[in-house]
Amino acid sequence: MAFERVLTRNVGKPEALTLKGYKQGGGYEGLAKALKMEPDAVIDEVKKSGLRGRGGAGFSAGLKWSFIPKKKDKPKYLVCNADESEPGTFKDRLLMEYDPHQLIEGCAICCWAVSAATCYIYIRGEYTKATAILEAALKEAYEGGILGDSVMGSGFKLDMYIHRGAGAYICGEETGMLESLEGKRGQPRVKPPFPAVVGAFGAPTVINNVETLANVPHIIVRGADWFKAIGTDERNTGPKLYAISGHVERPGTYEYPIGVTFREMLEGCGGMLKDRPLKAFIPGGASAPILTAEHIDIKMDFDTVAKAGSMLGSAAVIVMDDTTCMVRSVARLAKFFNHESCGQCTPCREGTNWMELMLKRIEHGEGTEQDSKILLSICSHIGGNSLCALGDAAIGPVQSLVNNFQDEIDRHIKDRACPFPHRRYFETGFENGA
Amino acid sequence: MPKVTINDRTVEVEAGTNLVDAAIRVGVQIPHYCYHPRLSVVGQCRMCLVKIDGMPKLQAGCSTQVTKDGMVVRTDVPEVEEAQKGMMEFFLINHPLDCPICDQAGECGLQDYSFKHGVAFSRFQYEDKRTYPGRERIPLGGNVLLNMNRCIQCTRCVRFTHEVAKTGELGFFNRGARAEIGTFPGKELNNPLATCVVDICPVGALTSTRFRFAERVWYLDKKPSICTGCEVGCNITMEHRRGDIKRYKPRYNIEVNDYWMCDFGRASFERYKTTPRLTSPRVRAEGGNGHAPAAAPAAATSWKAALDAVHARLQAAQGQAQGQGDVAFLGSGFLTCEEAYLFGKLADAAGSSHRSVPVDVGPEWTIPRFERPPISGREQAPNRRGAELAGLAPGGEAMTADDLLLGDGAARCAVLVVTDSDFSRAAYSPDTVAKLRRAKLLIVFGWADSPLAQAADVVLPVAHHGEKEGTFVNVEWRVQRFARAFPPPGQVRTTVEVLGDLLGRFEAGWANLSPGAAFDKLAGELPAFAGLRWHDLPATGAALNVPGAAHHLPDPAAEAASEASA
Repeated sequence: MAFERVLTRNVGKPEALTLKGYKQGGGYEGLAKALKMEPDAVIDEVKKSGLRGRGGAGFSAGLKWSFIPKKKDKPKYLVCNADESEPGTFKDRLLMEYDPHQLIEGCAICCWAVSAATCYIYIRGEYTKATAILEAALKEAYEGGILGDSVMGSGFKLDMYIHRGAGAYICGEETGMLESLEGKRGQPRVKPPFPAVVGAFGAPTVINNVETLANVPHIIVRGADWFKAIGTDERNTGPKLYAISGHVERPGTYEYPIGVTFREMLEGCGGMLKDRPLKAFIPGGASAPILTAEHIDIKMDFDTVAKAGSMLGSAAVIVMDDTTCMVRSVARLAKFFNHESCGQCTPCREGTNWMELMLKRIEHGEGTEQDSKILLSICSHIGGNSLCALGDAAIGPVQSLVNNFQDEIDRHIKDRACPFPHRRYFETGFENGA
Repeated sequence: MPKVTINDRTVEVEAGTNLVDAAIRVGVQIPHYCYHPRLSVVGQCRMCLVKIDGMPKLQAGCSTQVTKDGMVVRTDVPEVEEAQKGMMEFFLINHPLDCPICDQAGECGLQDYSFKHGVAFSRFQYEDKRTYPGRERIPLGGNVLLNMNRCIQCTRCVRFTHEVAKTGELGFFNRGARAEIGTFPGKELNNPLATCVVDICPVGALTSTRFRFAERVWYLDKKPSICTGCEVGCNITMEHRRGDIKRYKPRYNIEVNDYWMCDFGRASFERYKTTPRLTSPRVRAEGGNGHAPAAAPAAATSWKAALDAVHARLQAAQGQAQGQGDVAFLGSGFLTCEEAYLFGKLADAAGSSHRSVPVDVGPEWTIPRFERPPISGREQAPNRRGAELAGLAPGGEAMTADDLLLGDGAARCAVLVVTDSDFSRAAYSPDTVAKLRRAKLLIVFGWADSPLAQAADVVLPVAHHGEKEGTFVNVEWRVQRFARAFPPPGQVRTTVEVLGDLLGRFEAGWANLSPGAAFDKLAGELPAFAGLRWHDLPATGAALNVPGAAHHLPDPAAEAASEASA
């Protein structure tokens, strides 16, 4: 399938890291065009393009922007969510490390559209390289008149700051991020009020993922109709980054038009590692329910994956071959969610802990026959009842384990041990709790 | 105002009321832990989940506000009950279940909701419970002890220190299942309201060192009372077992103390345990008149003999010509309004105009309130204002409390009646006792066998405020009624009974007066109390009609005088 690389067009071009190089490649044309448009027209264009949030929820970006009240009594903020910390997700890092100006341009257009004078890029604390690159780009953008008191000479004032996280997954949740940004303990807030009404520092705030914002300049330059033509249908449009990891020959971040089939993607990265058969794959990051090999021809877009009982999420695809112990894999994911639960709300705090203990017990061959039933029951008590989406995320893998791989659980229980060979290089630090 | 229907019962509430509060209006209890009406809503215990028509998921009742008409809420559907069961299970899997040794047992949110919403067995059978080793007995400072193993992470205590006490000593540390409560480094929980965190803790995680292991709560008798620590008059429940007071807990009164009280007030009952008690009337055989003090020890006698003696002395003094000596009444801020009223009548009967109430100023205690300015008190007695209003205010040329306590007023007295052996901190100063002792006859009412009582010629043992009922007037001129928690011991009688007997000897019609009847008489007589009746007094008290009486503080001169005497 022939297609044009949009988001990653500057990857592999070191000159794009500088303002001059980026401009030569057509950079900041989108911002210049947007500044000549009315803010509402920018929002309409993005709305028309059908761009859906790339962070995981898949909410229409234009619609989100239009929720920002037009009143001028309070300052407005844009917070760019670069706290990419879900296991298997590494697409935003690529965008920030190889094309920082694309993100800055997207942020600036969004700020113009919602009349925000301040933008924060909340970046994952471990992304030191991306931080350094972004900081250098920001400095250049200020010097080049892109940011500051008059954005590209338009008189529109915009300041952009980089805020580094301190290693909490929960700060990727939008209200948790706002709390952290305000200098408080990073934990989600009660919603409503939603950030569009009461966000950062009590003011209306837009929160968008890095990849979502990186799409914006292209929509402005080339138009919503061009963007809509890419993808599966009306509701799933545009280019998409897929972070492929696991048992494949060449793991990495790949750009495809949204809706590429999983089989194509697998072929694109060299197929399964050592040509072993595919057993299962996670289509959208650690929180997405696991799909089995029979879904190999699934179209990787928001709606098709959701129909199959999983979610596209952040499009972090984790591929597992037949040597993978599903119980062990899910136990590892449960450990992640237990470790990252903020501890505020009861179902998530207690439930994720219980699930981890239980899955570890099953993995060690000490499971009982009631365990699957209890696991599902815990999931049902967490699901929908927790304060933020982390609880819902934590139950995805566990539910799909019980629903799709009950036979593996049974074998663990019957054999009183894990039936799969232990591969030391994948379990570093797992047993000793690191 | 929008209408909301909860379990088929419709109620009209103010816009913005949350569902937990709205449900209470129609008699539906939505279980909750983290929600507290005075703390910010965090919606994190997830116990208050309810079903709202038109919403796909269950919603937290505390964080859902009624904003427009037509919200239909159900708490009795299987989904909600299942969710509540699930939450109870989550709370209990890592809870130590050490109810037999836990102070909270009997008034514990986990116990209550387990019975109501939980399941009787545990599915958490093979895993180890999460514990916080070494965090079972953490002194947070003040009187508060933390047992992290019992904590359910509702963060009420954290929010209390940040939002009500505004001292912010407590924080929520760590993450996930390891999340814990603690003090910030270098800080300790030592604000004046610190023990309130024990009250608002729904479980046994925070306990008070003063009450720890003192009594199982189901043995406690609880009576509505008023704190006597200062003039604020915080509403409390006096909790005792057979007359042994175990603790004071704040009782909600939005007009006075809201949900809170200070640690100083909480500890104020301890004087009832540490101060020796007067148990029987004592009369010095020869009478004090004209004799050197303490010629003979005052001997225990019967109430009849003691009251006869007092009656005779007062009558004799009244009969004496001017210049032979005055009859003076030294009141007390610890008297109830009824007692002060009857003392006033006794003074009238004895023909005396010398009556006064000392002002005892101490450190200031402040209670934050909801939508009202904070209330603070500096006088160390609950009812100085009421006592003065009800009949013990000095008038005209009369001797004041300062004349008696600082000057040589007592020397001019033929009879000096001190209405409370514990009238202020001055009662324990040898100088004050010596000054008062210069009266020819010293009659002391009181519960404490203080140095003053020991020096007196006639001692009448009367009930302390746990043993009597009555009304106090607080710093904002609000009259509040309190109940008797337990009967006085031995021969001790209440002041109202004693004064009724005594007044009956002067004038028929006063004997066997109840505090209620005394209050009604008083209310009929005094304009400030006009229209009030004992049985109709509202639970939150009633504001008195005192002209120009907003937040009244003693004048600096009296303050300095009181400090000098202390």
